Amino acid sequence: MKRVIRFRLNERLYEEEIGSEQPALDWIRKTAGLTGTKEGCREGDCGACLVLLGGRGMDGRPEWKAVTSCTLGMGELDGRHLVTIEGLASGGLTPVMEAMLDEGASQCGFCSPGFIIALTGFLVSGQAIDPVSAMASVEGNLCRCTGYGSIRRAASILARDFADLPAGLERRLPELARRHVLPAALAQLMLEPPEPAGSQGAAFAAIHPEDPSLVDLGGGTDWYVRNPDPDPDLAPRFSDQAPGARSIRAGGSAERPVLELGSAVTVDDFFASPLVRNLAPGIERFAADMASPPIRARATLAGNIVNASPIADLTSMLLALGARLVLEGGPDGERLLELSDFFLGYKKTDIRDGERVRGILIPASPLRFNFEKAAKRARLDIATVNTAMAVTLAPDGGIASVRASAGGVAPVPLRMVALENAMVGKQPSAALAREAGKLAYDCGSPIGDVRGSAGYRRRLMERLTWAHFIRLWPELGLEKELLA
Amino acid sequence: MKRNPESVLNVLGKTQYLDDLPENAGMLHAAVVLSPSAHGRFSGLDTAAALAMDSSVRVVVAADIPGQNELGTAVFDEPLLAAGEWHYHGQVLALVLASSRSLARKAAARVAVQGAEQLPAVTDPREAAARGNIILSPRTQRSGDVDTAFLACDVVVSGRVESGGQEHVYLETQGAIAWPDDSGGVRLLSGTQSPSGVQKIVARVLGLPMNLVEVETRRLGGAFGGKEDQATGWAALAALGAVVSGRPVKINLNRRDDMVATGKRHPYSSDFRIGLKKDGTILAFEADFYQNSGAATDLSPAIIPRTLFHAAGAYHIPNVRVTGTMCRTNLIPFTAFRGFGGPQGFFVIESAIDAAARALGIEPADIQRRNLLSDGDEFHYGMVAEDPRAKETMERCLAKADWNKLRADIRDFNAAHAGLKRGAAATPVCFGISFTKIMMNQGGALVHIYNDGSVGVSTGAVEMGQGVGRKIALVVADALGIPDSKVKIETTRTVTVANTMPTAASTGTDINAMAAKIACDQLRARLDALAKDRPGLDFVQLVALAHEQRVDLSAHAFYATPGLHYDLATEKGKPFHYHVYGCAVVTATLDVLRGTYQFDDAFIVHDIAHSIDPVIDRGQVEGAFAQGLGWAALEELAFGADGRLLANTLSTYKLPDAHFMPRMDVEFLERPNPGTVANSKAVGEPPLMYGIAGYFAVLDALKAVHPDKPAFYDLPMTPEKALRFLSEEDSP
Repeated sequence: MKRVIRFRLNERLYEEEIGSEQPALDWIRKTAGLTGTKEGCREGDCGACLVLLGGRGMDGRPEWKAVTSCTLGMGELDGRHLVTIEGLASGGLTPVMEAMLDEGASQCGFCSPGFIIALTGFLVSGQAIDPVSAMASVEGNLCRCTGYGSIRRAASILARDFADLPAGLERRLPELARRHVLPAALAQLMLEPPEPAGSQGAAFAAIHPEDPSLVDLGGGTDWYVRNPDPDPDLAPRFSDQAPGARSIRAGGSAERPVLELGSAVTVDDFFASPLVRNLAPGIERFAADMASPPIRARATLAGNIVNASPIADLTSMLLALGARLVLEGGPDGERLLELSDFFLGYKKTDIRDGERVRGILIPASPLRFNFEKAAKRARLDIATVNTAMAVTLAPDGGIASVRASAGGVAPVPLRMVALENAMVGKQPSAALAREAGKLAYDCGSPIGDVRGSAGYRRRLMERLTWAHFIRLWPELGLEKELLA
Repeated sequence: MKRNPESVLNVLGKTQYLDDLPENAGMLHAAVVLSPSAHGRFSGLDTAAALAMDSSVRVVVAADIPGQNELGTAVFDEPLLAAGEWHYHGQVLALVLASSRSLARKAAARVAVQGAEQLPAVTDPREAAARGNIILSPRTQRSGDVDTAFLACDVVVSGRVESGGQEHVYLETQGAIAWPDDSGGVRLLSGTQSPSGVQKIVARVLGLPMNLVEVETRRLGGAFGGKEDQATGWAALAALGAVVSGRPVKINLNRRDDMVATGKRHPYSSDFRIGLKKDGTILAFEADFYQNSGAATDLSPAIIPRTLFHAAGAYHIPNVRVTGTMCRTNLIPFTAFRGFGGPQGFFVIESAIDAAARALGIEPADIQRRNLLSDGDEFHYGMVAEDPRAKETMERCLAKADWNKLRADIRDFNAAHAGLKRGAAATPVCFGISFTKIMMNQGGALVHIYNDGSVGVSTGAVEMGQGVGRKIALVVADALGIPDSKVKIETTRTVTVANTMPTAASTGTDINAMAAKIACDQLRARLDALAKDRPGLDFVQLVALAHEQRVDLSAHAFYATPGLHYDLATEKGKPFHYHVYGCAVVTATLDVLRGTYQFDDAFIVHDIAHSIDPVIDRGQVEGAFAQGLGWAALEELAFGADGRLLANTLSTYKLPDAHFMPRMDVEFLERPNPGTVANSKAVGEPPLMYGIAGYFAVLDALKAVHPDKPAFYDLPMTPEKALRFLSEEDSP
């Protein structure tokens, strides 16, 4: 549906009536005529369509991320700034491009703009500038020609040459301009996100909830995969345009503290949050297990839940964390629902007419947490199965409480209740892990599909349950015993 | 540093691929209606709902074809548009034209199949062979006397080997643009490795002489064999649409249609028998290859002999009997993919050696090293190995990997770790260079020196990222004695160089750069004749003088690879100009609990002879290895029992990403290869086979967990297969 939006593309400001449902990729290529951004898969899996997306972060300050433009709705660009390869190249070759060239990292070239966007985005926003982090930034990019050796060498050169970049966009962007990574005028504009055409809250509310063409969208990273060419009469309502939706706060009472997550909290936001990291120490190391950097920058927790995929990674984690959903806008007003009660069947949820997710509540008492995922490829792949386990321990080391989830073994994401009951009150041991493994083996009713057979899924659930024990209680050294 | 000008455009985002070119006013966009199952009959198509969407919508069916409804080259069994019956899931039933791509796709989705009747589908090649569903006749190559030799062996091992198909995943999907021409013909821009092949088939489909069909290929966003024959249909559909509508027509497949409707690497199912002496000397080898050819012949008759030629790997085996059968199934017609049947052959001999090593209680590498090709050894197809570099590359590679220490370190590591096991394997490679069909080893070039001294070069070579244009430019610059910045490589067009062969079989540079060099030598001779009387003139002055004196500044030249011959009756001859050698050692670490694995290191020594551009060649070696490793240990081309492709998007078909790939340490063996352009060797395909070492590295780690369990030879390795091996029982 057409809406007036104001955004910047490279160095030019646009204020136009544009189909808000249209994928940015199409608009960039066909309307703006900038064809350096490529369509490789149109489902966020190859990175050929990467662009840099600028806006304001959770703290209200400018924020830049590389994102896939094939899953980015134009309506989301109100008050934002896009940079494409043409924007980077307007002053000629940049050091990122030169590193790629000198190492022969561009063969057929179709993926090259995407890699350059990702590596440039890394220099703009990367926390640690080192070779490993540089390569992590291209985990959402596929190249079929090079075997990545030359790309790795180029990334290492950049990590070496730019190791001394200052922290903070305000200092870093001028430095990147000085060193010709970004055109100077562009770098300046990148610190000044444009004002949206309308107040975002107003635009958000303006869409009538009973309109049949209304679609509530999180990051769109899954919706656009299923709707690659959306009808022009659809009216997407983007959750991050709801006032205050992108926030993680401590709340609840002193006896029952909770974390309150807004509906627009992204996967990146979740793993970066000190509140989340305090709750489940070490949880951030599981971020790399799901999707890719450009997808994690956009995908929301609420979207991951409402999408109701039985193998949703975040949902699996949130089940083990004991999350509850806050729903609003329905006939009963606001509702609070255990996450495990939300899923009714395959891709079927208890969401009612007009209802949308307002937030997610997570009990805020610290716990030991582990997540396991099996997939064909270690990075950027959909799980064959996944499982999370969260425990609290009694003073004697016994298991005081446990929540465990299983994805990919049933039409819905599961809580493994029988396994939880068998564990609670016991001392962790290899024998208990075996018993839990048996219960996990039988916890669902898996089917075979392109990602694995039913038998493989059962076996994985057993093995990954053992893995939970090994990782949750590293001090017990259970691995040898379990594998004997 | 010298930079490839094509790559400069790439990184600036300026390179124009097919879908990046400005669209003409009035251009129609095409989408396709694909068959819904693996085998069925239909009485017609209901197009009413599609036509009702917009006045621009038009549906083109088989009956609209003015010429022959036939894409086949070797065998006429592949209609452009199915008429009455379809033979695989994803076969094109109709072409839908509309004013926008979105509209065309939506209209195509509304075309309904009428009177559909499902027919039985065969997907298994052995079942097809048992039913007599084979293409042409099986081929057998033999040397020595296998039956007698087996009797003399200390140990004879037999087994079964499976290898899966592989999707090309060129990042730029298939496409073409056709413009109707006032001559009554068409002008085409096609994303093909074979512009002349497209020209011939389009002429046939439209019922036109070839001179009314002009085909241009600018560049490809990757191809890997997937746009050799498989690009032709899309170009023919665009041409048909343009002729039927009188408007320019563009077709550009989306990823899913591309994956469902285009051919891939052939899956094979094979049996082997290998006989050895106690010391590991291989005396006899036989293998039966059941090639799953899919529903149409396509390039299968050229691919099956390449499997047979490479069935003995990099080894000299005195007694060989290998048979290849092309089995017709109800799957997508399988096609060329880098290696072209070679990898499937290599995997079987390497599996046989692995199984034999177990039977003999020695390491596979001991058998490999003992049997490598030596100078003067005769291949089972009668060619004699000249200057073979198998031993040299393998020994250098093992030294590079510090093989003995590596094996000892792995044993120590595995003894000390329960949850992780390491493994390593080596794969030596010997790959024959030339098209297996001898007539295809020819090419032409047209070189213009413009009167300002700049140079334009046309050949039959198609640039698809392999750097052939850059290599030709360097050869031309060298031959003319000018800086390469003066040389422009033109797009590949049927009107400048005619009757070209596909850019394939690793021969792009060998043939086309040689043709260009011959043309340059002619031009140089003309200029040198002038220079004799006028010493001291530079190239630009000399060219101006030549122009002034009415000397022809253009030259066309032709090159046909010399010395090739092959007798199909005896299956003996010299099918290859030369062989490329090399070896890879790959190491892996297995997670015993989860069945997952990661590749740690790849050490490669590759026989490059003389490198025209080391940056390009290194990229070819690394990139081919990555595709081979993906084929061997990741990429699973899953079909359902009903013949439908299950892995039909990039979210279900996983290819190597940066994280998957090990550290790569590539070293070149540099010794000139006389008789080729710049004494070089072709580089495109041979390194793909190095990926096979990845399969055996994981298998080696698996064996460390269960040393007594029989190994399995079922490529690709997957975490599922690994976990099944690690935990056989069906219940906990």
